[in-house]
Amino acid sequence: MAIRTPSQTIGPFFHVGLKWEAGEKVAFESPGGRVILTGRVHDGAGNPSADALIETWQAGPDGRAPVPGSAARVTGYSRAATDADGRYTIETVMPGACTGADGKKLPPQIHVTIFARGLLKALRTRVFLAEPAAIKGDPLARAAGPRVGTLIALRDAKDSGTWRWDVRFQGKDETAFIEI
Amino acid sequence: MSARDRIDIDPPYDYPAYKSTILRSPKQPLLRVAPHPMEATGPVFPRKFVTDSEADLTTWGKGAPLGEKMILTGRVTDEDGAPVRNSLLELWQCNSSGRYAHPVDQHDAPLDPNFLGQGKVLTGDKGEYRFVTIKPGAYPWKNHPWAWRPAHIHLSLFGNAYSQRLVTQLFFPGDPLLPIDPIFNSVPDESARQRMVCELDLEHGIEEVALGYRFDIVLRGVKSTPMGV
Ligand SMILES: [Fe+2]
Repeated sequence: MAIRTPSQTIGPFFHVGLKWEAGEKVAFESPGGRVILTGRVHDGAGNPSADALIETWQAGPDGRAPVPGSAARVTGYSRAATDADGRYTIETVMPGACTGADGKKLPPQIHVTIFARGLLKALRTRVFLAEPAAIKGDPLARAAGPRVGTLIALRDAKDSGTWRWDVRFQGKDETAFIEI
Repeated sequence: MSARDRIDIDPPYDYPAYKSTILRSPKQPLLRVAPHPMEATGPVFPRKFVTDSEADLTTWGKGAPLGEKMILTGRVTDEDGAPVRNSLLELWQCNSSGRYAHPVDQHDAPLDPNFLGQGKVLTGDKGEYRFVTIKPGAYPWKNHPWAWRPAHIHLSLFGNAYSQRLVTQLFFPGDPLLPIDPIFNSVPDESARQRMVCELDLEHGIEEVALGYRFDIVLRGVKSTPMGV
């Protein structure tokens, strides 16, 4: 088996090569309930990380992998760089329920890949867009145990279509990252 | 480390010689969890996502960029040798004097009005790709005294599945800065480090116009799963 090419950091200048037109707006072929996922990325000192890149991948509203569209755009995938306050914002739709290996339905979740200066390889995790009670049986929620709260987005009190989710690279409430 | 790696291929998160890792590396171990069905799928980039001109970084401006023109070719495969077809490969780099066309880059080296330093292609049926660019310069980066990055090109790959996503850097053979670059040397294994060094490939150059360099990229297999799951 061939040796894989190793990962290296994205560095601070990735915007030069990784800008997509409307990259933070996820396209789908079929419509769904509009969702904004937004939050901030913090380092271990609590400072905002202004040079991180968040990418997301998710099922469509039907719970299936998005089908390629007819446009020049990619479907189901987003890319958003953080701003000076470490904030990212992604505009998407509520992912449908996928079926897990055991045949059970999985609660709505978004796959997240995080790149940044200082990350020699990407961090991966998933964020749930659901109430804590609705994710109890999910394999990731179980694996996260007491850290599961770091993977649950909170619905905005005023705008029910907006969900807030912060990322902490380390320290108290360090986000639960996963190996994939 | 993936279950299928017999050696550590990727660098660790915590690598204090590269100072920015100190506050950004997670302290808790990564969770091991059964793969989610969406991880074996991935975004499909339509042909129209890229235009042919995005493979040539030397024709972006009104004139030719300064520097040593080069042709970069290679194949993207997975670790079982299967070609990774129709897959997005994005590239960015500094110009020949070591300066990025980026507002945060304060290095006192000139910008080149004819060089932006960004390109993208979709791989072909055999996983092959080709870029025309110029050889990037070395640049200082304040990580430690005499910290100068060896000449490198940043590459971003999607593979054909979400789990194959990779961002890496390409280096040049014989660069005297390689042994003292903490980012290159964060990869613990020598043979894995050599995966990031391209080869001079005259066959794919253009005589008296551009040198050729070859860089094959190997992504993880789609079916590899975390250890013990
Ligand atoms: Fe760089």
